[in-house]
Amino acid sequence: MAIITGGTTGRKAKWAFIDIVIVLYALIPVVWTLSLSFKTTESQTDKNFFPSEWTFQNYRDIFTTDEFIRALINSIGIAIISTLIAVVLGTMAAYAIARLDFPGKQALVGVSLLIAMFPQVSLVSPLFEMERNLGLFDTWAGLIFPYITFALPLAIYTLSAFFREIPWELEKAAKMDGATPAQAFRRVIAPLAAPGVFTTAILVFIFCWNDFLFAISLTSTSASRTVPAALSFFTGASQFEVPTGSISAAAVVITIPIIVFVLFFQRRIVAGLTSGAVKG
Amino acid sequence: MGSTRTGGRGLSRLRGVAAGAALLVAAPTIAACGSDSGTEINVYLSPEQNFQTVVDRCNAKADGRYKIVYNKLPRDADGQREQMVRRLAAGDTGLDVLGLDVTWVPEFAEAKWLAEFTGENKSDAEQGVLKGPLQTAMWNGKLYGATKNTNVQLLWYDDRITQTPPETWSDMMEMSRQLKSEGKPYRILFTGAQYEGLVVQYNTLVASAGGEILSKDGKKVVMDKGAVDALQTLKDVSTSGLTDPSMPNAQEQQVQQAFEAADSQAAFELNWPYVYAAIQAANPERAKHLKWARYPGINGESKATIGGFNLAVSALSTHKPEAFDAVQCLRGPESQKFQAICDGVPPTIESIYSDESPIEPCPAATTADKPTMATAYPMKETILEALKDPAVRPLTVVYQNLSTITSKVLSPPADIDPQGTADDLRDGLQKALESKGVLP
Amino acid sequence: MSQTVDTAPTAEATPSGKKKPALSEGKRAERRLGLMLCAPAAFVMVAVTGWPIVYSVWLSLQRYDLRFPDQREFVGLSNYVAVLTDGYWWTAFGITSLITVVSVVIELVLGMLLALVMHRTLVGRGLVRTVSLIPYGIVTVVAAFSWYYAWFPDTGYLTSMLGLEAPLTQQIPSLLIIILAEVWKTTPFMALLLMAGLALVPEDLLKAASMDGATGWQRFTKVIVPVMKPAILVALLFRTLDAFRIFDNIFVLTKGANDTSSVSMQAYNNLIRGLNLGIGSTMSVLIFLAVAIIAFLFIKLFGASAPGNDAGGRR
Repeated sequence: MAIITGGTTGRKAKWAFIDIVIVLYALIPVVWTLSLSFKTTESQTDKNFFPSEWTFQNYRDIFTTDEFIRALINSIGIAIISTLIAVVLGTMAAYAIARLDFPGKQALVGVSLLIAMFPQVSLVSPLFEMERNLGLFDTWAGLIFPYITFALPLAIYTLSAFFREIPWELEKAAKMDGATPAQAFRRVIAPLAAPGVFTTAILVFIFCWNDFLFAISLTSTSASRTVPAALSFFTGASQFEVPTGSISAAAVVITIPIIVFVLFFQRRIVAGLTSGAVKG
Repeated sequence: MGSTRTGGRGLSRLRGVAAGAALLVAAPTIAACGSDSGTEINVYLSPEQNFQTVVDRCNAKADGRYKIVYNKLPRDADGQREQMVRRLAAGDTGLDVLGLDVTWVPEFAEAKWLAEFTGENKSDAEQGVLKGPLQTAMWNGKLYGATKNTNVQLLWYDDRITQTPPETWSDMMEMSRQLKSEGKPYRILFTGAQYEGLVVQYNTLVASAGGEILSKDGKKVVMDKGAVDALQTLKDVSTSGLTDPSMPNAQEQQVQQAFEAADSQAAFELNWPYVYAAIQAANPERAKHLKWARYPGINGESKATIGGFNLAVSALSTHKPEAFDAVQCLRGPESQKFQAICDGVPPTIESIYSDESPIEPCPAATTADKPTMATAYPMKETILEALKDPAVRPLTVVYQNLSTITSKVLSPPADIDPQGTADDLRDGLQKALESKGVLP
Repeated sequence: MSQTVDTAPTAEATPSGKKKPALSEGKRAERRLGLMLCAPAAFVMVAVTGWPIVYSVWLSLQRYDLRFPDQREFVGLSNYVAVLTDGYWWTAFGITSLITVVSVVIELVLGMLLALVMHRTLVGRGLVRTVSLIPYGIVTVVAAFSWYYAWFPDTGYLTSMLGLEAPLTQQIPSLLIIILAEVWKTTPFMALLLMAGLALVPEDLLKAASMDGATGWQRFTKVIVPVMKPAILVALLFRTLDAFRIFDNIFVLTKGANDTSSVSMQAYNNLIRGLNLGIGSTMSVLIFLAVAIIAFLFIKLFGASAPGNDAGGRR
């Protein structure tokens, strides 16, 4: 990593300060949700930022039945599978679009943008009917296919933006050194495209993880219901009460996999891999 | 496919039933062949905490002829309707019993998604049921649903602040003004956000003023003097400075919480009876002094809008006889009494209100006392009174459109201009009835 | 792999009489490879959305209310006329455009700043990157709910802190709150894409520029931004497309009261609540067209930075 290393304590302090400001900006509303999840039902409305009475009851409540656990499992499985497939398919297509010349290239780019643009709310009912007829309703596959479809446009656009920036000379040089196109791709291009691939993976995962519209419309039981949909099934004590405590607790719990996922992948989004690769 | 991990920690019968049901519902093609394992009756209803107990009891009574499976729908009414409509419109035969909000019956019936209750089913479903709730289960003179529970709003007040409750809106505003000048809690709380709750309030006011929004058959817009008077009342209270500033954004829970708050400025609350149980835990001090009365009228006794749920049988169901049977049990007197005491939902069968006998403690109870209607439902007399003279929301196929337009036109209530708003409503509702025009 | 140039006369005559150049073996191989690589993605996308999109457009040309199935008929463009002459539609359109423009501009600026920090910070880089993404990772409805709770006077801390009275019941304050909720939630999306774009800027270029005496601002505008153009385009494009279809935040915060409703909310009301498939689909198509125009403008603005617009950087 070609970073200017060894900053003085002054510069480090400056960066630390900026970091703290950002962390506060990002986390204050999150801490509010966290504190709502620890509040007792009586103190829900006491307007305090921090709970005056602490309780773990909300967390205990969401795990009493295994519905939430099933939803978590469904979410994790569906999101990971969709992300994997979408990134692989997207990488292949993006490489072709960025590097190769073939008929229908513009059409593909246009069509994928069209799919990203069309309001999903009116696609849900026809999609539901299709899946019912194919027996995919209320299954993992029934959610995975739509997720891949709606993640591909972003994946293709992001990845082709990255492939474009990688100098063509690198591939030519690898070919002249005797590598096959596949080897050239694996050894030379793929590492340089890593920032783009991991960025795409993070964004696609978060999209699949947090989608509500398809999750609520294409599932009907805990066999495939994911967490965002499961949240709308939490009951309060009556039909008019929203169980804020348990919903906040659930929201906190489901954010943890995201944190883990991002923490794992973000270190691969590093700078300057192309510097020095091409002389002159 | 979905994971089948069940943890193995003390599998309750509940989990077994739920897991088995999930597998069966998710693989309709497999269930189609070899259904000797028993008929399944799929009930689709909003999530209620103790309904599973009712289902279990009815399964025991069914004695193997069929098994009722409780499929939960989303918590919010719109979400429930969306789920059911999508599947019924696509011809899904997997739904047998539908839990319909009282305003959906005409819509579902007209779309031919409901099976009619005839003969013995009809007489069973009608027996002992209060007139108001029964009306919501009928369309075009035919019975399409069996009433499961009802609901009606009451006036709630603190007896340390108010000794005698007001009987009309003008009384209430007068008392509120008096309290305000004395520096005591004075606010009048009701649901004024742009949603169905506002339509419920308006409907109550119209009926109390003796007016009508639609004709009785739901085919024509009326919007007579009573409806305009109701607009005037709504405007008056909203511009009087006696309401909570966040009233135009408040739904039931916000109203309930505003009354429960330790530093509450509220004297009067207009809300459903669930607030009684809710305040016991939230503000035990105020709970001791919580009293109730009928919803204030305009020229006399009020006609309060009723809510509630009806159980209907899907016209696409492949097990109609069993479904009707299941419905009979699920909303029968025993089930209604249990749910009234343990879930807080008012029953539709009149005899239950005077039933003195106790039942076993509720599943989530902390004491071993056997509750009765009197101990768990002290306001039942007032509720029964209100139910005997109710207002029903307009029974029409396009009720959703009506609701969307009305809530949009009436929001925020402070901006109402009685004549102008009445004209807007007349226009909008007429177009909605003819399915013309665009919803806001 | 050797590339032989095929000079056999396989050229076809075009109508103008000129001969098309013969496709070389290599070129054909390249085309095959390109098509093969794109096939799976294209297949999935078309298979899943082909029929629904066509069906939606087809529905928009019909008068079709699910509750009056007997009155279904083909009406051509009259649904479009009905929607485009409706006052509610244009109010919602205006509000949606306002929210979109304001939030995207703010997010671009904040996102860029955040990207720079995430890229260059000397302290706690992993922490900052992960923490900044948490807002984007929270379920939208829950985040909206927690904002609602925070801003509602009887339950939250923000109104008393700022001395406001029921901000969610007035149009301008509630619009500001909605924009704040949007910006807080999706700035990380922009920041992540921009940061990955920053990772592509070669350090030597920056070093050379600073050695030539360029100031930080000049380095930013003359070196960093041009190289980042493709990443900026993707970020702006996709963020704007999503911003225009805002639904959850408005629904939870105000339910669209006081004219804060968006076009997506109106489409939902007509399609799902009103079960008017004709009008609802019409609105969807109109939203799509509006978004398509925006996309077209962006791509024109950014020109060659759009994907597939050149021969793959092979200069």
